[in-house]
Amino acid sequence: MTASTETTPHSVLAVALTGVVLAGISHPAVATGIAALLGEPARRPLDVMRLLDLALRHLILAGTGLALVAILGIGLGILVTRRSAAAWRPVVDALAAGAQAVPPVVVVALALPVLGFGGPPTLLALVAYGIMPVLRGTVGGLEGVAADIREAGTAIGLTRFQVLHRIELPLAAPAIVETLRTALVLAIATAAVGALAGAATLGTPIVAGLQNQNTVPMLQGAAATAALAFLADAALLAVTARWRATRP
Amino acid sequence: MTAGTGLSARIQPGLAPGWRYLAALTWGVGLWFALTQLPLLSVAANRLVLGRPVFGPEALGGAGSVILAAGFVGLAPLVRGGRRIALVAVAALVVALLMLADGLGAGAGRSLAGLAPAARAGLGAGSWLTLALLAGGLGFAIRRARLPRLGLAVGAGLGLAVIALGRAGRLDALSLAVEYAARRETVAAAIREHLVLAGAALVVALIGAVLLSLWRRGQGLIAGLLGGIQVVPAVALLGGLVALTAGLLRALPVLRDLGLSALGAVPAIVAIAAYLLLPLWRGLALALRSPDAATLEAAEALGHSPAQILAGIRLPLGAPIMVGALRVAAVQSLGLATLGALVGAGGLGRIVFDGMAQFAPDLILLGAIPVVALSLGAEIGLSRLERAARRRWHA
Repeated sequence: MTASTETTPHSVLAVALTGVVLAGISHPAVATGIAALLGEPARRPLDVMRLLDLALRHLILAGTGLALVAILGIGLGILVTRRSAAAWRPVVDALAAGAQAVPPVVVVALALPVLGFGGPPTLLALVAYGIMPVLRGTVGGLEGVAADIREAGTAIGLTRFQVLHRIELPLAAPAIVETLRTALVLAIATAAVGALAGAATLGTPIVAGLQNQNTVPMLQGAAATAALAFLADAALLAVTARWRATRP
Repeated sequence: MTAGTGLSARIQPGLAPGWRYLAALTWGVGLWFALTQLPLLSVAANRLVLGRPVFGPEALGGAGSVILAAGFVGLAPLVRGGRRIALVAVAALVVALLMLADGLGAGAGRSLAGLAPAARAGLGAGSWLTLALLAGGLGFAIRRARLPRLGLAVGAGLGLAVIALGRAGRLDALSLAVEYAARRETVAAAIREHLVLAGAALVVALIGAVLLSLWRRGQGLIAGLLGGIQVVPAVALLGGLVALTAGLLRALPVLRDLGLSALGAVPAIVAIAAYLLLPLWRGLALALRSPDAATLEAAEALGHSPAQILAGIRLPLGAPIMVGALRVAAVQSLGLATLGALVGAGGLGRIVFDGMAQFAPDLILLGAIPVVALSLGAEIGLSRLERAARRRWHA
């Protein structure tokens, strides 16, 4: 998602710091302070426990969605790049373009009558919207592996599975991880949209605040949701930076 | 299956026969299941209560078996190649889709006969699955036919045919049509608002992207900043913007006289534009850098001024990249505009949210279908333009 693909400790720190500052803004005392500064009466700010509870629920929903997206997206990406399934590529590409045309809000809304209020429609929207970027990224990464490297693997007697496991996946890993970051950001954003379908996430105070013109919880929810997105992004960046450092 | 190496197999795709038969079998069984075992319609006493499921023969009459047969003909390209077979399949699937629309309209009319005027006949799971399978099969057959513009022609033809069916009153009994008839003006107004929101955001972001790319020294900072905006969830950005604007207006009431308000189109346009800055700014930078150094030196040697180089070389050579960025931004803008209704900016999101609040699936669809149609239209139209630009300047 961010423009630079190389991950320096510097950029991880900047992303994490942004997250911490935003988390600070979401604290009831700070948020009421900002509101008071702007002359807004402090009405019913969310306390820290409630914010943490919502953040945890948000994280669980987004995490479950991300796990499903990663399994399905990477799995399908591996499948469609196999030689025997090459004819499915156009179908998958068309589906990918089509799925991007349906925004997450619309998926949540459409799933609502079928799946009812709460988490399930949000989870469906998460998977429907997140799967295609991961699938595309996986396919792009695997196709970026030069054919002669793959053939060299076959030539030294590796089985097809070994070629995939020892050559293709390690070489495609950076591209796949990059798309997982995109998917993570999407997952946190979609979980926030899920508040519209009644899922209890950090989007809930925003939606409720917009409905009854209550600025302080709205500001808290907005800052906390953004903080969660930045902190999760920083965590994924840090993990991959370590992981890359330990690999040849 | 081609016997070549991995690369040649990828260039000339062939599907192993086992997979093809499995896919055909799954698709066929799915169609049979949708048409006979799942409810095609759901008939309820009014729009809010749960409906009574109506299954195949009762809903579609004799048309059901014809649709199933035509669907099986449409499977042919999966099993056998060849353009003629693909074209026959396209024709069969078009017939099946039109018969489905007409049959469901007529079936809804029959199911509602003798019921109170508030009774509704909505589409059931079977109808949606049938629609998805037939449309998927049609897409596959069109690809297999390998005729330029066939997809566009078939799509436009189907659209017109469904509109004609609607005009002729054949679909009037379906609850989606009832909702539409009751809100014709609202839907038209919402589409207009949606386009204005998305368009205004696109224009604002385009101006912003041009201004940002002029600040040469700050490009690293801009990259970080715009990347950071992408991380912020849209709901949070909208909420934060409204909260801060509301506070700002309270602190500086003068701004209110200038027409600024915390709720409405302005915060929505600002928030949407913020997300479009990254693709547009990046596209602009890539587009301006697209001619290689030798071309630029040659132009300079010929005595072209920087303005001439920009207009005559950089912009034409970068046009495909710029149109590509515009396509990404336009699709994003149309999708994000749906969230604008959250802050009172109107648009199709308002219909969607009304439907969610009333738990009325048809109302949700009434808002969702135009959103998806507009996004797909922008995607298809601009990607055609992108290809045309590429052919024009990169032949």
